[in-house]
Amino acid sequence: MSRKDKLTISTALAAATCSLLGTSLPAIVDAQEEGDWDFNTSILYYGEDNDRVKDYSVSAIAKRMFVDDRILSLGLTVDGLTGATPSGAIRQEVAQTFTRPSGNDAYVVPAGELPLDDTFKDTRVALSAAWQQPWGDRNLINVGASLSKEYDYLHLGVNARIARDFNQRNTTLSAGFAYSSDQLEPVGGAPMPLTPMLDVGDTSNRSGDQDKDVLDLILGVSQVINRDLVVQLNYSFSQSDGYLTDPYKVLSLVDGTTGDTLLRTPTGPGVEGPSHQFLFESRPDERTKHSVYAQAKYYMNGKVLDASYRYMTDDWDIDSHTVDLRYRIPFADTRYIEPHLRFYTQSEAEFFRLSLPDSQPLPSYASADYRLGDFDAITIGAKYGWKTRNDKDMSVRVEWYQQSGSVPSGQIIGNQAGRDNYPDLAALIVQFSYRF
Amino acid sequence: MRRRFGLLLVLPVLAAGCASMGVEPWERDVLAKDEMQLTTDEIEAATDDHIYFSKEASSGGRGFGGGGCGCN
Repeated sequence: MSRKDKLTISTALAAATCSLLGTSLPAIVDAQEEGDWDFNTSILYYGEDNDRVKDYSVSAIAKRMFVDDRILSLGLTVDGLTGATPSGAIRQEVAQTFTRPSGNDAYVVPAGELPLDDTFKDTRVALSAAWQQPWGDRNLINVGASLSKEYDYLHLGVNARIARDFNQRNTTLSAGFAYSSDQLEPVGGAPMPLTPMLDVGDTSNRSGDQDKDVLDLILGVSQVINRDLVVQLNYSFSQSDGYLTDPYKVLSLVDGTTGDTLLRTPTGPGVEGPSHQFLFESRPDERTKHSVYAQAKYYMNGKVLDASYRYMTDDWDIDSHTVDLRYRIPFADTRYIEPHLRFYTQSEAEFFRLSLPDSQPLPSYASADYRLGDFDAITIGAKYGWKTRNDKDMSVRVEWYQQSGSVPSGQIIGNQAGRDNYPDLAALIVQFSYRF
Repeated sequence: MRRRFGLLLVLPVLAAGCASMGVEPWERDVLAKDEMQLTTDEIEAATDDHIYFSKEASSGGRGFGGGGCGCN
């Protein structure tokens, strides 16, 4: 890339940041006293098996260093998503017809197959901007803003963090917050919770746009233990308020004895509609999460071990444990290979239901979203990195992600016992990165 | 709830205990290496946060990451 091209990109990025941070362009341009832009770019492929979600994504983070260690950082990500995702309905021995989320059409899931909604197609553009600078002798402050837009979703966020060094900069305490205000514009309108999926063209149980706010707080300490070991400990608090339901997920309404989904007939001749009874899911409009994160980086004669553990608990009754291990092994002066292992386990939300039996009154909240279920996941992969001839960093990583879950035995009714009830997931992740 | 607030008290105590650890400024050669930073690759970290936020019920921990999309 020529110097001129870089300057054009720099000016465009500076203008984009200014609009995000709400400052005027000249102030930033005047501050460009020295240094150059540093670009960190990547191309990602994420693909799930069985024609489920695929994501092609390009990302770039541009950084510019100014005098006095002030850093401007700008990020851009574009995601192209396609594929099918589990609707929440259970398998049946007969074909099932569903109305699409738009309410304009219907689709059929063959007998015995997991109901997937294949309408999923979206493009997401995310922008971020951050400004970091020292404050006094021992403090570092960082303020940022983020924006992302999808067809049915708009996110706006701000964040700030302050870090203070102690003990000859061997100990750093930090505190930060992030606030986001998101707007959901579900295709066809947001369905009223626990109302039935209706015939094509009937939108009487849909309402307008919805919103949700998320406040995150984080407190952290990092500590240099010795010349080769540094550790970090964070506590995070997160409070979500508003529409936390997934407007596209449903539950099957089943016979309390057989466990089979109740049949339904469209309301008139020539009308297309669901063949069985499905209810739109319902989640609480509040969620509070707490998590503790610990990380250690240990240098061993050139090799680096990066180990972390996270515990999360929330008031939806979900607890999770995550262990992440990376081991970087350098070779041939400028190359390295980094195997990666990640283990994850979570318990199900208190309102997770495989299906809703007609023999019991409807609960206030219910969701069959597999992501709120009881499952374990493992990621296994490796990254290979090298320096190019002109001393730039390149890397490629290939990883395999596998989820396998189970439904609490008390929720399995009649014929459901013989079926594969949890939609296991396997995904391939390939990411190519270039830094220049 | 009391246990959770207890954690907030533990952090400064840990910090105080840490005063006896660490290195002299001239012993930071290893710690200054790119591969010894707590986050070595910002884009990779953001990508992982985004993927796992979309597929699991947990997010964040290391930082705020992951949110800001309609994927969960």
